[in-house]
Amino acid sequence: MKRKKILVIALTALMVGSMTQSCTKLELKPYSVEPASNFYQTPDQIAAGIAPAYTALQGIPDGNVNQMNEVTSDEIIVPTRGNDWYDGGQWQSLWLHTFKPDVFVDGGWGDLNNGIGKVNFTLNVLNGLSTKPSNINAINAELKVLRAYFIFQFMDMFGNIPLVTDYNTDPSKVTQKSRADVYAFLESELTTNVPLLSTTVDKTTYGRVTQYAGYMLLAKLYLNAQVYTGTPQWTKAITAVNAVISSGKYSLNANYFDNFSLTDRASTESILAVPFDNVNIGGNNWEMQTLHYQSQATFGLSGQPWNGFCSTADVLNKYAAGDVRKNQFLVGQQYAADGVTPLKDSQTGLALVFNPNITTISSSTDAFRLAGARNVKYTPNAGTAGNQSNDMVIFRLADAYLMLAEASYHNGDVTTALTAINKVRARSGASTWTAADLTWQSLLDERSRELMWEGWRRNDLIRFQVATGVHYFTGARTPAKVDDGDNHTMIFPIPSPELLSNSNLKQNPGY
Amino acid sequence: MYLKNLLKVSCFILLCFFAIPALAQNKTVTGKVTDSKDGSPITGASVVAKGSTNGAITDVNGKFTLTAPASASTLVVTYIGYTTKEVSISGSTVNVSLEQSNNALNEVLVVSVGYGSQRKKDVTGAVENLSAKNFNQGAIINPVDQLSGKVAGLTITQPGGDPNQHASVRLRGQSSLSGGLSPLFVVDGIALDDPNQFQNIPPDDIASYDVLKDASAAAIYGSRAANGVIIVTTKKGAAGKTTVTYDGIAGESMQSKYYDLLTGDQLRAYYSGNTSALGSIDKGANTDWQKAITRTAYQHRHSISMSGGSNTFNYIASVNYQNQQGIVITSDKQQIGLRFAAEQKALNDKLDIKVGIQNVSTERTFIDYANFSYMYNAPATYPIKNADGSYNEFSDFNLENPVEHINQQILGAKENLTLMNGSIDYAITNDLKIGGLGSISRNNVASQGFYPTFADQGNKNQAGQSNENTVSYKANIHINYDKTFGKHKISLLGGYEYNDFQYDNFTAFGQQYLVPAELYNNLGSGNAIYNNIGSYKQDYQLISFLARGNYNYDDRFYLTATIRRDGSSKFGSSYQNGYFPSFDVAYRFKKDLLANVDWISDIKLRAGYGVTGNSDAIGVYNTIETVGPGNKFYNGATGQYLASYSVNQNANPLLKWEERHGKNIGLDFELLGGRLSGNMNYFNDKTTNLLYNYTVQTPPFIVNTLLANVGTMVNKGFELSLNGQIVKGSKFNWNASGQISFVKTTIESLSGVYSYAGQTYQLTASQIPVGYSRGRGLSSNPITFLKPGYSPYEFYLPHYTGVDAGGNQTFDGQTIAQNATPAGHYIDPAPKFNYGISNSFDYGNWSLNFALRGVYGQKIFNNTLLDVETVTRLPGNNVTKEALTNGIKDAPVASDKWLESASFLRMDNATLAYSFKGISFASSFRVFLSANNLFVITKYRGLDPEVKTENAAGGNILFGSNVAGTANQAYIDANYGGEAYYPRVRTITVGANISLK
Repeated sequence: MKRKKILVIALTALMVGSMTQSCTKLELKPYSVEPASNFYQTPDQIAAGIAPAYTALQGIPDGNVNQMNEVTSDEIIVPTRGNDWYDGGQWQSLWLHTFKPDVFVDGGWGDLNNGIGKVNFTLNVLNGLSTKPSNINAINAELKVLRAYFIFQFMDMFGNIPLVTDYNTDPSKVTQKSRADVYAFLESELTTNVPLLSTTVDKTTYGRVTQYAGYMLLAKLYLNAQVYTGTPQWTKAITAVNAVISSGKYSLNANYFDNFSLTDRASTESILAVPFDNVNIGGNNWEMQTLHYQSQATFGLSGQPWNGFCSTADVLNKYAAGDVRKNQFLVGQQYAADGVTPLKDSQTGLALVFNPNITTISSSTDAFRLAGARNVKYTPNAGTAGNQSNDMVIFRLADAYLMLAEASYHNGDVTTALTAINKVRARSGASTWTAADLTWQSLLDERSRELMWEGWRRNDLIRFQVATGVHYFTGARTPAKVDDGDNHTMIFPIPSPELLSNSNLKQNPGY
Repeated sequence: MYLKNLLKVSCFILLCFFAIPALAQNKTVTGKVTDSKDGSPITGASVVAKGSTNGAITDVNGKFTLTAPASASTLVVTYIGYTTKEVSISGSTVNVSLEQSNNALNEVLVVSVGYGSQRKKDVTGAVENLSAKNFNQGAIINPVDQLSGKVAGLTITQPGGDPNQHASVRLRGQSSLSGGLSPLFVVDGIALDDPNQFQNIPPDDIASYDVLKDASAAAIYGSRAANGVIIVTTKKGAAGKTTVTYDGIAGESMQSKYYDLLTGDQLRAYYSGNTSALGSIDKGANTDWQKAITRTAYQHRHSISMSGGSNTFNYIASVNYQNQQGIVITSDKQQIGLRFAAEQKALNDKLDIKVGIQNVSTERTFIDYANFSYMYNAPATYPIKNADGSYNEFSDFNLENPVEHINQQILGAKENLTLMNGSIDYAITNDLKIGGLGSISRNNVASQGFYPTFADQGNKNQAGQSNENTVSYKANIHINYDKTFGKHKISLLGGYEYNDFQYDNFTAFGQQYLVPAELYNNLGSGNAIYNNIGSYKQDYQLISFLARGNYNYDDRFYLTATIRRDGSSKFGSSYQNGYFPSFDVAYRFKKDLLANVDWISDIKLRAGYGVTGNSDAIGVYNTIETVGPGNKFYNGATGQYLASYSVNQNANPLLKWEERHGKNIGLDFELLGGRLSGNMNYFNDKTTNLLYNYTVQTPPFIVNTLLANVGTMVNKGFELSLNGQIVKGSKFNWNASGQISFVKTTIESLSGVYSYAGQTYQLTASQIPVGYSRGRGLSSNPITFLKPGYSPYEFYLPHYTGVDAGGNQTFDGQTIAQNATPAGHYIDPAPKFNYGISNSFDYGNWSLNFALRGVYGQKIFNNTLLDVETVTRLPGNNVTKEALTNGIKDAPVASDKWLESASFLRMDNATLAYSFKGISFASSFRVFLSANNLFVITKYRGLDPEVKTENAAGGNILFGSNVAGTANQAYIDANYGGEAYYPRVRTITVGANISLK
């Protein structure tokens, strides 16, 4: 009996003893993921760690931001075609300016803040390294100017934005800043950092923020200063945009479409582009959004497009005969790849004829499936179904010329304005303007013709409306849109998920 | 790793051997229990050595083997419906014949309660036991179907007729928003890594289920028990003559319901006089695409088991084969299972060693669910094949020839599940026992897929393979102490448990293969730029200590207390250990208060409180800030595309388990001498620290969601189970049982303060969109929401008020043209109650069983009809006949018109059986005819009112997975974009069970 007791005690002691060691130790062993603290050790890791700030750009030229800036304007309409594209009313609400502070407007907010957050994180990590990269100052400047682009767009769209530029900010302390405050921040950030950026323009800086991309951004900021602060800064805008134009690093492509082709990486006009590639970098789905299902046969795509985005006759009619830029739109009968076999809409059997006369925003008629002019400025990429290989433009020289023209016209310098505009027009076979041709309306139309669907239209309409008082943005337009009544739609509502995630945020007026 | 775990397992096995010298004398008694009337064996009778806790249960042949203290002189033999008998132990073999009785008072049904068992009358928690004789019958392929409708509070839903989909198993409602919702399955003492693994275990191997329903009963399983625990006991061998049994079924299944789609002729009639509008759509055919992709499916299942043993050794070996065709062409499941279990006793039965191994190999052929939307879309005027026998190829948005696609896509998986376990138990004294248990579980899934080029679609062919392993090493050491002092009985349990869970996978796929005939067998031969490989591995540990104490005074007053400490490497560094206590009291008050009430035989009041957890939502590395490859970037200098590396989650070192605090009050009763028995339970559970991915602002957060424990959810319910012997005679018997359960789940809060590193941050979510409508023009259209104060997946839908003169739908009186975004109204889709009714009639050699099951108050969003019952789809996409007459002429809008009542009553199973008596070669020989899903009564207009509530089974590497919706798509019956409902079947089966002499 005694022996038994000893045994039990020994046993228990042994068990407890063995357990307190290895048998109770919990160990987190990452095999396929890396704790952030272990990364950013080698030059390649640092390069890969900086890249996310740029990959955030991949969502901008063909994503929520572009859609919110274009579908709220006259340039793109996404009509409800029978069963297609109603999608909870979101597309109609953009066109009609009846958008509400719901999840539909959160996409753009999220995409831009993703970029801001990635830059903040990267700056924090890099500047906290015990051994910093030798070019840390240049990296910091580049990342800050890239961040300034995201913040600029964010402020332009949502007005009163939370401005967070430090990764270690206490989230409960984040409050909104006025547009004027954000303007002041951006002006200071850009004037400080842009001069530190690279002036090299070649393949090594392709797709990255150079000094000229920085000046383009600064010029955009100044050009819209009246909208943001109430005080125009036309002269500053001219100075900034001239830093780009007079650098001599860029020239207009001889062919307008070289800006958007499958080989547009060779463009001489591109100041900041976002690289895309069918296999490696997805996100350019231009062909899918606009083309009709059966357009697959026209362009040899490997899947059927979605029959969505298009433009009305009012947009198409802005182009005079002979203006090659009109060719970015497909209208009329569509043909198979051979160019002679007429296509039909396979669901209704109707001849596949794109009709730009859109008189309603929603219709279940068979013919409405074919409504709208389709935009193929980014050349459809045979063999793909989305994820095209065309790089997409953020800043290009033609925009710089038109900005110079606009600011100069504000300053009364018609000569400079006309010279700049005619460079752009001449390239596309459009007639040469004289002073008699130059009006606020014609300048605005010229920007539309040149920069069609490129994401600037909402910004342009609002700027021109603020400068002239004409309801370019808020006014009625065909089809279906009535005047907004006031100007509250000039900034988007703060999306409801964001109001929830930060109780300090206050909704924009009018929502 | 492997070695280390092995060391840990062997370390305590060794410990046990240390104790071998300390032995006392025991003896083994074997025997057989039979019915005094006809001498037939009684299965499941309890045999206990009087004055000890040593007991045994008779096997299917009435045989038992019992280890009794040397001093024991009397056996107590009890069985429900029979008079308890005490017989003296007159040798090593004792045969007992029992007389039938109306008095079931002394039933000694033994119930597994986790880490041990108790007499049923002593159980203090809400535990329900179901043994083989009460299982559902008929075409049972998936073992959980044995339980369906049998246990109050347990809901088993087959998500359609796909043989490769897992059934969903839910106990007492939903207690998590992000984590698993299935109860923990524990098979022979070992918790399965994934509850779905259980559905691969052959149903013939299972002897009984014990369902631990309330938090106090389940708390012994700690951080994995918030959804309850189902303890599965497999069949064991028994001493005595070798037994060989065969069970087999063969059956055929057909689709139980079709949508009423237009035929080709009806479409032509609709367009008569306007044939130009039909135009190229009319190819002259009359194809029923619903029937074209389906077939009568055959299934058969066979199992042979052999068991036997001596007083100190027993074994069981079984082999199972099943082949289940799906009704959709090509879909198929084949499975072979092999199991062996043995038990050896030694040292006068003080030492008990068990080993078991089970292997199940499953071969699956999947179909791509996108074909269901092609099926609904394809015009009936299109032929399947052209006159020359080739497929009629057509391609439009979400429209392909589904017959061609299904036949030419190859999607399959081979699964190999191996469960190995061994245990050693040793009785140091009569009262004190120590033991250890170790197990290794491996599940390998190898998937293959090939998607060919279809000329009309213009796509590139694709092929791929993946291989994944889920492996765990588990071990425990347990000590039991049982002692009786006069009228006081105590029972103590202490345990330590170690679990290591590993998962890894490897995938490879590519495109543009020049030799499609090689399928996925030459993956390197495609266009190299599309080659894509991936691999992943993770590992975490769960280390636990547990203890339980039971106290019983005079079989009248009971106290139970348990505590478990779970430590997991998944948890945040601040909370690596969770404590899960429980406390129960019970009072059998017949003797004290109702001694003179004859019609009450036994009655017990129970009350319990317990805490259980759920940490499924926490990924292994969720607590730390990790970087991983993101989108590629272009390096202009080199022309290369390289992976960017970015932080892919916000660290949350505060992550911990969800905590379900459960209160349960129950009453168990036996009336009329056991003719009527039952129980009722009321529970009120609150889940705190609810995990959810909250939207947080970026920046400063790097990612816009943060997994955090700040919500609260409440489950309240009432359950009632009744079992009655309605007619009891010498030739005719009628037994009936029924259960009903009410459960109400309410999200109480989705907000709270997240506080870390000196920063406090309010997390709030007021109305999180979760479920979306599916269809053309219906994207980004959330229709169900998580909202505090409402049920999970509460619908928020515009109210349909008819159509205007132009056929435009109106919502609260306004058309979409008048208001593009109509306001919604909240509608709760959750069932009010679930119920089940089982009946069995015996007349001589005949028996008839049937089981009915129903749900009341449930609503399902008929997203399929929202899409298909729309006349504007014509003529390019087919519609239902109703679409021509329902008056709606505009585009589909998700509204309450499509949220249909889905209450139902289903005849799950009816089985007519005949038992041959007096067969020379067989001790039992039973044949049966069975029908499953014989009918369903419902107003729901979809194919079936039970739709999927979670991910589909398996998957394939080309399409991510064969997803038929996620938990987030609960109550939404959609067929669009790969989310689809695989039609349910009606099955007729014949079967036989033979036990050879």
